[in-house]
Amino acid sequence: MDEIVAEFIKRTILKIPMAEMMTILKAWDFLSESQLQTINFRKRKESLVHDLVMLCEEKHANVNDAALLDIIYTQFHRHQKVWDVFQMTKEPGEDIDLFDMKQFKSSFKRILQRALKNVSVTFRDAEENAVWIRIAWGTQCKKPNQYKPTYVVYYSQTPYAFISSSRLRSSIPLLGQALTVASKHHRIVKMDFRSRYLDSLKAIVFKQYNQTFETHNATTPLQERNLGLDINMDSRIIHENIIEKDRVQRVTQEIFGDYPQPRLEFAQYKLETKFKSDLNRGILAERKEPLRCLVKFSSPNLLEALKSLAPAGIADAPLSPLLTCIPQKRMNYFKIKDK
Amino acid sequence: MELANTSSPEGGPGAGVLAHLERLEAESRKKFEEPQGAESALGNKIRNLRSLRDKLRAEVNRRQAGVTSHKASVEPDQTFEVSEQEVLERKRENVKSILQAYRFTGLSGKLTSRGVCVSISTAFEGNLLDSYFVDLVIQKPLRIHHHSIPVFIPLEEIAAKYLQSNIQHFLFSLCEYLNAYSGRKYQADRLQSDFAAFLAGPLQRNSLCNLLSFTYKAEPSGQSFPFCARLLYKDITRTLPTDVTVTYQGTDALSTSWEEQRASHENLFCTKPLHQVFASFARREEKLDMNLLY
Repeated sequence: MDEIVAEFIKRTILKIPMAEMMTILKAWDFLSESQLQTINFRKRKESLVHDLVMLCEEKHANVNDAALLDIIYTQFHRHQKVWDVFQMTKEPGEDIDLFDMKQFKSSFKRILQRALKNVSVTFRDAEENAVWIRIAWGTQCKKPNQYKPTYVVYYSQTPYAFISSSRLRSSIPLLGQALTVASKHHRIVKMDFRSRYLDSLKAIVFKQYNQTFETHNATTPLQERNLGLDINMDSRIIHENIIEKDRVQRVTQEIFGDYPQPRLEFAQYKLETKFKSDLNRGILAERKEPLRCLVKFSSPNLLEALKSLAPAGIADAPLSPLLTCIPQKRMNYFKIKDK
Repeated sequence: MELANTSSPEGGPGAGVLAHLERLEAESRKKFEEPQGAESALGNKIRNLRSLRDKLRAEVNRRQAGVTSHKASVEPDQTFEVSEQEVLERKRENVKSILQAYRFTGLSGKLTSRGVCVSISTAFEGNLLDSYFVDLVIQKPLRIHHHSIPVFIPLEEIAAKYLQSNIQHFLFSLCEYLNAYSGRKYQADRLQSDFAAFLAGPLQRNSLCNLLSFTYKAEPSGQSFPFCARLLYKDITRTLPTDVTVTYQGTDALSTSWEEQRASHENLFCTKPLHQVFASFARREEKLDMNLLY
């Protein structure tokens, strides 16, 4: 086994938390049951890793096996990467897409390998007819760098691809081209939509986040419209305030729905607008040029936080459409200019 | 004691002050008398309101007593009322069940506050499969609020063509696509689960289940050659393939009997659902086994 491969496997296994070790190794399916049984998992991690690497050595693990282990680790820890969403388009009036996974994989690999001498591509099939692709980039003279790979998650016969953000900006056009050609599309465009939570991006882009429907067959009755507010209101809050509170609840429920919001962690607004002031005084109000500033909203769960703003009394209902349009527009990066 | 009059010159400011005090006294006396009048007016008002309140209370009590006495007189007929209620309840349950059963027609809906939620229940060969939903907002223009249609079904295309002009056509077209997809998926799932023994490798499929590729042996136990089948469903509103190629994975040419089999398999895959083709292989296997026994 190559020293580089051995080191790579060692470092990958070291990253795996002990609680997940067995699950990930079984998913890898490279070391057999009997081999795994010879390992004492109660050892200290370093020595356990050493034993595992020895076993891999025995089985002559190659760079592809190591790459597969890396994919599995990343699938378990997908939130450690930041994912961009790309949208592909076809020419109108094209025939139905007869997607052949084998053809897609070979076409994708071929396009990359034709353009770059040193590139390693690994595939792993996933559920829902999707594929995870791992690409390690090299140069004319250097072997692929296994520690800075790019990941692509593609669901067959959809126009979207999820690509892990990487510093290697130069690789993106080639990657885009390979994806487009292999999946029989014509153009690829990066959407202004980015998050660590790949599953949320998928739910929003595939419009799968609102899945409660009113039917005659509903076994559970429509839940009480409870936005989780503290209903122990002061008994001195009388008629007028109750009307307003109900209105806020109703408006919030109309905009955000009854479902749990998909999890995003930020929204960013780049403003290039003229400064507007009520006072009509001050240096800023007299500027002719637009004021440039960046507003970033961060939260462990941004959409849930936005949903709770009006009921908590922090903001007026309805909220600004710039905040509430995030799932519908599939955007969380905005550029706002004066009309 | 009478105070001196006001116009005494030698008094000067003193006389003015006395006169002023006199005036103040007269004013306060007046004020003292006035409230008494106002007081009595308010007092009258209070008395009137009180008597009105008492009258209203008496009226309320009278009416309540009337109602309870009426209820008491109605008591003996309670049993009759309850059974009427029972009848209505039963009717209501009946109607609810009928509404629930509508899903078996494949296309049903429920009115919502903003429009209608349409349920499309797919089926294949009498098996009820997945249900999909489209929540429509009845406005001009008609729009889809949210749905559970998979992303690879061309919903936007169908909506662009028919949603505004012919809602019926929209729904029927969507039904067609979804039922065909469900049917193809059902066949592929059946092949993978029930006839895995016939497959010599994983079944290759895609999201729409419109391209299936697999290697199989018509007789898993016997000496038959493995064939490679490639099924293309170019019309995604149908559950049978449009193109089928069955090839032989080998270098030697096939004997005529095998060639005949290969051609007949191609025909079978074109005309019968996938899992039924394999079911017929299985039956043939059984027959052969039976022949060997006797």
